[in-house]
This record gives sequence, structure tokens and C-alpha cells, in this order.
Amino acid sequence: MAGIYAVFALGLNVHWGYTGLFNIGIAGFFALGAYTAALLTSPAADPLLFEEFVFAGDWAQLGVLDLGVDLWFLVALAAAGAACGVVALIIGYVTLRLNDDYLAIATLGIAESVRLFFLNEKWVANGSKGLYQIPQFLEGWLPSDKYNYLYMVVVIVVLVALFALVQRVMQSPWGRALRAIREDEVAAAASGKNVFRFKLQAFVLGAVIMGVGGALFAHHIRFVSPLTFDPLLGTFIIWAMLMVGGAGNNLGAILGAFVVWGLWVGARFLPGELSDPNFRFFMVGVLIVAVILLRPGGILGELRRVTRRAAGRSAVRLDDG
Amino acid sequence: MTSTTPLLQVREVVKDFGGVRAVDHCSFDVMPGTVTGLIGPNGAGKTTLFNLISGALPLTSGRILCDGRDITGLRLHQTFALGIVRTFQIPREFQRLTVLENLAVVPANQRGERMWAAWLTPWTVAHEERRIEAKALEVLEFVNLAHLADEYAGNLSTGQKKLLELARTLMAEPRLVLLDEPGAGVNRTLLNSLADNIQRASAERGVTFLLIEHDMDLVTRLCNPVIVMADGVVIAEGSPRQIQRDPGVLEAYLGGMVGGAA
Repeated sequence: MAGIYAVFALGLNVHWGYTGLFNIGIAGFFALGAYTAALLTSPAADPLLFEEFVFAGDWAQLGVLDLGVDLWFLVALAAAGAACGVVALIIGYVTLRLNDDYLAIATLGIAESVRLFFLNEKWVANGSKGLYQIPQFLEGWLPSDKYNYLYMVVVIVVLVALFALVQRVMQSPWGRALRAIREDEVAAAASGKNVFRFKLQAFVLGAVIMGVGGALFAHHIRFVSPLTFDPLLGTFIIWAMLMVGGAGNNLGAILGAFVVWGLWVGARFLPGELSDPNFRFFMVGVLIVAVILLRPGGILGELRRVTRRAAGRSAVRLDDG
Repeated sequence: MTSTTPLLQVREVVKDFGGVRAVDHCSFDVMPGTVTGLIGPNGAGKTTLFNLISGALPLTSGRILCDGRDITGLRLHQTFALGIVRTFQIPREFQRLTVLENLAVVPANQRGERMWAAWLTPWTVAHEERRIEAKALEVLEFVNLAHLADEYAGNLSTGQKKLLELARTLMAEPRLVLLDEPGAGVNRTLLNSLADNIQRASAERGVTFLLIEHDMDLVTRLCNPVIVMADGVVIAEGSPRQIQRDPGVLEAYLGGMVGGAA
């Protein structure tokens, strides 16, 4: 689970950590990715239970592409990413001309719209009852009590692959241009950069990653409903992860996901009132405040890129980060 | 100065901010190869004019031509592509990028700035990066900032940031450089090297400069011709010697003072 959240934190890091895009609509891409994967792989609907639900689902067994359920899992991951990418392209084209706070409001509104769309348009995805019996990857390879370990490995493989891709592209001149835009849009434009195009690309890349995260989530929980994607667990806990771990540092984003999720889940085992969800949110808040006071850049802050010529290493830790 | 077609033509340019007319039917030419000065009292509309030429702000009316081509309404990155590069009065460095990175951002059409390049053609990008880094170091030597290459740009002093702004324009291989008060906040020694750098870039690389400056020594030393603005209007144009004797200019600068001497 923490690994899945780490994927989201990585996506948000592309938006906020590198490009400075204030996206508080993660839940929208989260939901879209999860629903895309669920719709593509869920078994055919029972007409009695799914009165208004016309979409039969189960492309895997309809023989649309005769790959079997396991390969369809991979197709679903890719499709979830692609769906989010396309939607991000459209949303981004409209909203990325907005700055900071305005972009934040727009993304929050769009995320809620996505959620309410899935809630109210019952023919798409069964409304508030949600989709269930989402098949799992390589189901039956291991007894069901051990299956979670297998899926953990799957998640980690995906996470490492995404980490490598993001790390690579952020160290390239493309990533440098993004950071320049984050620092000062006007100066970046005065340096000849088409700010809008870079922001749009970054927005789409981050959204694709979030979509893949949503698909991983759907196949883990095996059930998606609109209530899953509320702003609290769909967006703000991911922000908490990035802030705690360190914006502008991909390892930091992943570490933050594990730390915050560890606290969130670990606190469940505290005695009595201490395990109350509200108190657990309070503790996440305390953690954020503590990190901001003690290490404003997060546990692992952004690295200063020092040329090999000077330091013999490509990057060193930033002292005040 | 012998060339016939102006590099930059500003024609009847007007800019209103609400009810305030910041630039009022301004017209002038900048000839290729010159270092043209743009002076005037505070609030004369000089920086606004820079914003209009570079495309940072849309103009209310009028036309701007570069090399005879209409560039009215182009955006910042588009005028950059035509070789018009500007600096900012208050330096706008990328604070959490190193000095070297600040320069490496500048060159146009970098292959590595395509998102796919890092994944698909890492060797080409690495090769290109080595070239850009070498060039950036060369430019840093030129402006005496090489020892700070790996420092965060946000940690530089104001004077050093001014030099960094100049260095950024040199990275771009520009045709026309708009310098907004390059001398303000820079100490005498740095100022001299700044002036040398401008003269060298002009003489050796054929770069044309249009610069806003309040330091009359610097203007007299570098610029010919000089354009004087006041209240959004061009009030005089000529050699530094001519404009220093122009009664209208004296009036604009010393307006309220009685019997003051320049």
C-alpha cells in the first residue's frame, strides 16, 4: 500500500517538486486510473445487481484481445496511465495558464467533478455501489494468504521502473528547464523557453504516473467506489508524503510515502482513542509541522547539482535542505 | 552606424495601464552594431518599453519591427527565438539552480529539452550537455564568475546577479540585447568590467545593445546615440554630447529646480 502511495508521491513530485504546479486534484487522476483499470478487467456484470450499469466490462474474457487476465493487468496499467495522460492534456491545456492558487482551485474542482461523475453516471461504473471483484495479477499462483507478498513485489517493480524513468528525465536538460520554470516563469520565458509547453508536458507526465498508481490501487483493493477518492485520502495525504519526504527529490517522495503511511497504519494499533482516525490525521499534521520546522525541505531535500569537474560526484546533499 | 536598415524600429507605440499612459506614441530606431542608450527620469516608461519590445507585455497600439519584420504581439520566448534577449532591472535568477545551471538553461533548441530525449537518446544529450557546460564555463570566465559556478544563484550578491544576467544574454548568441540598468548596484570595479564586456561583445561579436542606465559616466562612455524619454515620450535623440546640451533634457531632469546645472 505504501508502495502504491509512493507512486502517487512520485507523480506529485513531477508536478510540484520540479515544476511548481500546485495540483490538489490528485484524487481525480487517482480515481480515473483506478476506474479505467477496473472497467477493463472486472468480470461481466450481474444484470440483477447492476440495474443501470450498461457497460459489461471484462474485456479480458470477452476475447477482445485474447491475452488472458494476467496480461490484461498490464494492459490495464498502461490504459490507466494513457487515460490520465489524455485527460491531463485536455485539462492542462485549459488550466495551466492559471497561476498557483488558481490552478490549485481548478484542479481540486476537477478532481471532485471526476468523482461525482463516477458517482452519478451509473451507466459508466455502477454509481455509488462501485465496482468489485476486480481480478488480481497472477491470481492463484500463491495461496491467497500469501498473495499480498507477490503483489508487493509487483508494486515495487513498477515503482522502481517509474522512479528510474522520472529520475532520468529530471536530471536531463528537460528537468532543468522545469526547475527553471518553477523558480521564475518570466525569466524562463526570457531565456526562450516555451513555459506553457513545458508545464503541459510535466502535467501530463505526472498524471500518467498517478494513473498507473490508481490502477495498482484498484487491483490491490479489488473494489473501487467513488467514496474511495475523497480529497483527504486521495490528495492531501499524498501532499503530506511529499512535504515530509522532500519535494524535488524522488527518493524523498518515496521515503515520505513510507513514513506517512507507516504512521497512518501503525497508529491503528494504538490503544483506545489514540487509534481514532481523526487523531491519526492529527498525528500526520504534527509530523508535517515537525518536519517543516526542523527540515524545511523535507527529510531528503532537493540536491544541488554540482558538476563532476568540481566535486567528483554529480550531486551532493544540500546542507540547509 | 553606416548600415541603412535599422535592426529595431519602434513605431508610435502606446501602452496604457488603466488610466495611466506609461508609453505615449514612442518612435525610434536602433541601428545594428550600435550601443544605444535609453535614459530618462524615473517613471519615464523605459522599462515598460523594454517589456513591450521583448513581448513581456502586450502593447495598446503601435508597431515594433525587428529587421523589418513585424514582431508586435510576439511573446517573450518568441522574441528570444529572433535573437532579442533582455535582462531585468531587478535580477530574476533561478535561485535554486546553480550559477552554471542558470546559464545551461539558456541555449535554444536543446535536444535534451525534449521530454523523450533523456529516455531514448541519452548519449546525444550527454554530448550536447558537455558542449553547453563548456560554453557556460567560458562565459562565466568572461564575466569573472567561474569560481561560483556550483553555487546556488540565489546566494550571489546583487552585483554578481547583474553579471549573471549579462552572462545569460551572452549564452544566447543574441542579435539585440536589452539591458535594464546593468550598472545599478554594481561596484566600480565590476562596472568597468561590465562596460568592457559590453564593448567587446559589441565590437567582436557584432551584438547590438539597447541599454537603460542612470549612470551618466557609463552612458557617455558606452552609448552612441542616446535616446531620452520623459513621461512616456521620446524628447531627444543624439550623441551624449548633444543631449547633454539639449534644453528639453535639462528641463526633464531638473524640472522643478531653479538655476540647477547638470
